[in-house]
Amino acid sequence: MIDSSSGRMRRLRALVLSLGLALCSAALAGAAARHSEGPDSAWGGGWLAGAASAMLAVTAVSVLAAGLVRADSPALLRLDHFRPFVSRIRRRLEARHTGWLVQAAGRWLPARWLSDDASGRPGIIRRVLQWLGPSVIAAPLRRVVQALCFGLFLLLFFYVCWPYTSRPAPPARSSAGWQLGQLEQQSGEIELLDGEQAEWLVAGQHVYVVDQATQDRSSVASLRVKERDGGRLALSPVQASAIDSLELFLLSDGPWTLHDAPPNAWPTHYADDLAAKEWLPADFFLVIDPLVSLSTAVASRSWVWSLGCAGAILVVCVLIPRGFCGYLCPLGTLIDLFDWSLGRRITRFRLPDQGWWVHIKYYLLLAVMLCALGGVLVSGYVAAIPVITRGMLMLGEPLQSGLLRGWHLVPAPNAGHGVSLALFLAVLGLGLLRPRFWCKYVCPSGAVFSLGNLLRVSQRHVEQSCIHCNKCVEICPFDAIKPDFTTRVTDCTLCQTCAGVCPTQSIKFVERWNDHDLKPHGDPPTHETALGRRGFLSLVGGTGLAVAGSAAMTGATRLWGADLASGNEQLPVRPPGSVPEREFLQMCIRCGECFKACPNNVLQPMGFQQGLDGLWTPHVVADWAGCESSCNACGQVCPTGAIRALPLEEKRVARMGLAIVDQQTCLPLANREACQLCVDECRAAGYDAIEFMQVHTQVDAVGQPLAGTGYLAPVVQADRCVGCGLCQTRCYAVNVKQRHVLVESAIVIEAGEGKEDRLMRGSYLELRRRESSRPAGSPANPEESGSSYFIPDGPDPSTPAVPGTSDGPFGVDEAPGASGPEAPFH
Amino acid sequence: MIASVTTWMASAGRRTALGRWPFQLVCLALTLLLADAGSAARAEDEIEFLTGARLSGRVTRIDKQGRQVAFETSLAGRKIERTYPYSRIHAVTYQGQRYVLTPKPDAAPASGSGATGSSASSSRTSGSAAGAADSSETTRRSPADINRLIDDAGRSPPEWFAATPVEHPPGLDLSWPLQPPDKGWNNQKNVGQYIWDIINPNPSRWQSGVRLVHHLMTLHQGQSELLQRDMQTLGTMYFELLQDYPRAAFWLQKSNPDAGKLPGVLLAECYWRLGSKPMALKLLQASRVHPQAIKLLGDMGETETALKLAEALAKAGQPHEAYLLAGDACRLAGRHGQAVSYYEQVLSAPGARNQDYEQRYLGRARDSIQAIRLAEKADVRRVADGTYRDSSPGYSGPVEVEVRVASGRMEAVRVVNHVERQFYSALTETPAQIIRKQSVSGVDTTSRATITSVAIVNATAKALAKGAP
Repeated sequence: MIDSSSGRMRRLRALVLSLGLALCSAALAGAAARHSEGPDSAWGGGWLAGAASAMLAVTAVSVLAAGLVRADSPALLRLDHFRPFVSRIRRRLEARHTGWLVQAAGRWLPARWLSDDASGRPGIIRRVLQWLGPSVIAAPLRRVVQALCFGLFLLLFFYVCWPYTSRPAPPARSSAGWQLGQLEQQSGEIELLDGEQAEWLVAGQHVYVVDQATQDRSSVASLRVKERDGGRLALSPVQASAIDSLELFLLSDGPWTLHDAPPNAWPTHYADDLAAKEWLPADFFLVIDPLVSLSTAVASRSWVWSLGCAGAILVVCVLIPRGFCGYLCPLGTLIDLFDWSLGRRITRFRLPDQGWWVHIKYYLLLAVMLCALGGVLVSGYVAAIPVITRGMLMLGEPLQSGLLRGWHLVPAPNAGHGVSLALFLAVLGLGLLRPRFWCKYVCPSGAVFSLGNLLRVSQRHVEQSCIHCNKCVEICPFDAIKPDFTTRVTDCTLCQTCAGVCPTQSIKFVERWNDHDLKPHGDPPTHETALGRRGFLSLVGGTGLAVAGSAAMTGATRLWGADLASGNEQLPVRPPGSVPEREFLQMCIRCGECFKACPNNVLQPMGFQQGLDGLWTPHVVADWAGCESSCNACGQVCPTGAIRALPLEEKRVARMGLAIVDQQTCLPLANREACQLCVDECRAAGYDAIEFMQVHTQVDAVGQPLAGTGYLAPVVQADRCVGCGLCQTRCYAVNVKQRHVLVESAIVIEAGEGKEDRLMRGSYLELRRRESSRPAGSPANPEESGSSYFIPDGPDPSTPAVPGTSDGPFGVDEAPGASGPEAPFH
Repeated sequence: MIASVTTWMASAGRRTALGRWPFQLVCLALTLLLADAGSAARAEDEIEFLTGARLSGRVTRIDKQGRQVAFETSLAGRKIERTYPYSRIHAVTYQGQRYVLTPKPDAAPASGSGATGSSASSSRTSGSAAGAADSSETTRRSPADINRLIDDAGRSPPEWFAATPVEHPPGLDLSWPLQPPDKGWNNQKNVGQYIWDIINPNPSRWQSGVRLVHHLMTLHQGQSELLQRDMQTLGTMYFELLQDYPRAAFWLQKSNPDAGKLPGVLLAECYWRLGSKPMALKLLQASRVHPQAIKLLGDMGETETALKLAEALAKAGQPHEAYLLAGDACRLAGRHGQAVSYYEQVLSAPGARNQDYEQRYLGRARDSIQAIRLAEKADVRRVADGTYRDSSPGYSGPVEVEVRVASGRMEAVRVVNHVERQFYSALTETPAQIIRKQSVSGVDTTSRATITSVAIVNATAKALAKGAP
């Protein structure tokens, strides 16, 4: 037994330490909260501080728990949550501790659910877990977290990134023909008369008043209905600031149209829908895959906002080494499911325990990072979360879209789809070699965590009571237990399955430096050396391969890739808010998230049109659909900032391309028929960037045009066109697909220098403002300076009739009748 | 302010008999005292706006040159100071005296008159309030009033003028000769063709188009022929594009047109719309008049004169246009049988010089005949409650109209679909007239938007016929 004074000391130490940790945690939480409100929340620092705070809090609780319990095996930090700690004690073992979870369960849950203490009969919970499998009953918490994370991933991908839950605002109701009755100066109340009756005009209704004749949507009065009395309507200003609203009634004659919604409001339903569903970022798993942001930042030599998130997950993994792989990673969970359902039944491809392949992941990571250093981003091909995201996109998205919306709305796949699908299936198929072969040996994201494990504060330790039964080695999903039952610290994910099957409960998950009662190393011998000849050879060989591979990959991409320098390449139209093309190719991780979030599949993955460089990057396929004016989803879900997360006001003016009218084929220009599909579409979308031009007018004998002859042809206004592609979609759908009068759309979105805005940072609104204030080509109002309004002399029959300017204060005479016959101005 | 008052009193003094000097001096002293004692004496002045709204407050500055008044007032409990142009103010009561700055029409038209307003673009003019020209509710003004209205408006630039830049393609030939030098059509070089191709089809360019023509005028100083053409163009643009009748009349007057050409008829119509039928008729009493005069005479109620002119035009070799106009005039006057017979003459007239034109004439004639025949059925009192839709060919495509009928009344008439690109006034004015009259007959058509107006009337008749028993 341990003497009570040292026990007391330990408790005191734990109390003080956990209190300190809790204080630090609270401070960090405060910093995180401030950060999330601050203007630079995109920096990712909030995530980092939040994660650190959470980690400290968990550590504090663990330290406190460790200090107060388990007097037999002292530890500063204790992270046990494997089965014995959520289960009843075994009678055969003496004086082991009953976990707090079990105590709570015994108090709150029905007795039938729990095992019977006396007889040892398993309860419902235990039987269910047993039925699910030995690894589940050994470490149930881990499996529960895995299931939750996988479900969360699917939810984020298939629900949050499913844009079709959005509904446009109902069309505004309106009531026309109202005349001004009177304006009450003191209260600002307005009386309107004799308008069109509408049942929605009830007291309290907010109305937006527009001049009916001008339909000038820029000046709208916003008022509230005070009362309605037949054809009379009393309106009161909404706020004191509504003075401008009232002035409208002084300066315009009306009649007025009342609307029940702001008539000049830009539609926002897609953006609103995503924002409402995104209580957790849709790209949550992508941003916590550290390889995604690390490689992107290296490749583009810039700060990537998700680096903060990568930092956060690495901080968490200091406490739970490689916990990402064991608990969070949805690809790992999917591979687990594959191995469980299929892998274990097909054994002919099984490999022996160890081999040259065990270190592939490090070399792959090295190669990927070397490529990134060379400016070529290939990490997305092999990083864990992009792989599963793209897999879900290629397999699940067409299925979801086809079943819920109709198969005709699923775009045809290209070669890029095939490659991505093959890669995804190969990752799953590796499970036939060994369970979780991908995670253990290949996954470069896992390799980042393995390296991160060097900073771990907690670790699996085996105590002397080990009986060498080998159960832990057999069940370990990550091959993280050496033949002497000690831990391969870079591989252990702290899943605690081994401890759950240990018959003697010799395994503990405590602070790294704990040395209480440990089993000696090398018993039985592991036959492993620190770095033997073969080890060295494999290190050299692997590194060499990695260097050669990355060089080859970089070279191949350069040779068979985007030829940006030459300038003669037809550039793809990128999503709105994309960074400049070179940086875009270096920052786009090719995860596929934007395709999923894009309504109507405007964005589709490229195949090999840009060689390897552009593979799986998003481009706008405007023949298929145009970019919705109310949507900014692609930028919101982009994990690397290749597509900037623009607010809708910014996205509205960010040019992604320019519509070019084909002068040869456009129906009116070709003198074939009247057509204004593109103009109507552009106007309906609110851009109003296509004007008319009269073409093919017939002239009479003296060269005067004949009214009504010729056609109106579209002319794109480059300063207003954002390249959304709606015009192209419409022209293609009607003139090409439906009527077969054209072979391809006569108006096409093109990207390239001068046709698009590609900014790394800064505001597009500001850019537009600067452009519009720039002096135009022709001098503005040349005769304006100094001189007055020009009226030529000339025959003017009205002149004598015009009374001369009066000397009155207003330049007019006093009104007749207002004063007597002796009025001084007559 | 005191200074301005003093000068005013002084000027007042000059113009009155010497004998009243003491009275004036007392006045002056009083005013000075008042002004001194406060600007505090609030709510002494009052502005009556053309919209009918009144505000009391204090006139702080009068800008005679810029024709605007600075006014300090409190609105909804907040103190504001704003500058209002004369053109929006009907009258000001200043220092106890009332001054009418912009006359209101004599007979204020009943509800809906504003529907004519100044249309599509936000051309805010002194005349927009006086634009109502329903034959039944004609506003009357004396020639002196009208000339003052025209002169007031014409001598001042529109509100948007200063803010509208002069825009044109770099290669535009600003000398704008009367005839294009080359045979070919080039809308980037020839101003007339630029206006036709680029300005006219795009409402957003109308103001800058007017601005451009005014700018060209400054360049053509001293070249009277060019100036005359410029002013005529300017007037026509104010009329056709912006429906700013006072300014249209000003520039048309200055270009000194005769009724033999379209601008002369347009000027006559301006006079009529601003409130003087006699001025319009006087202008149209010419030996030669443009065919458009037939329509104007019909609209003004001079049906007989219109028909006489139409017969003459038909003899002169334009039977389609003449009979169509005659038919429209009869229809407006309620002489439906005669109208149908004129329309039938359109159908049987020999071929016109232009195939497109002929097809359009025939289509309009046929549709009008159909609408007259349906007019019986289109009596709204016999139409079942409900919402009906139908369409009729307009200028550049079908115009679709939706009519809502409840208990024997048309509650709403709305143009729901159209591709018309000019004369938007018809799109609000004509439905407003139909509602006011509760009938599709006797609706006069918006000037220069005849085709659109008639299409709306015809479509409404067809829609109503759907709900008739």
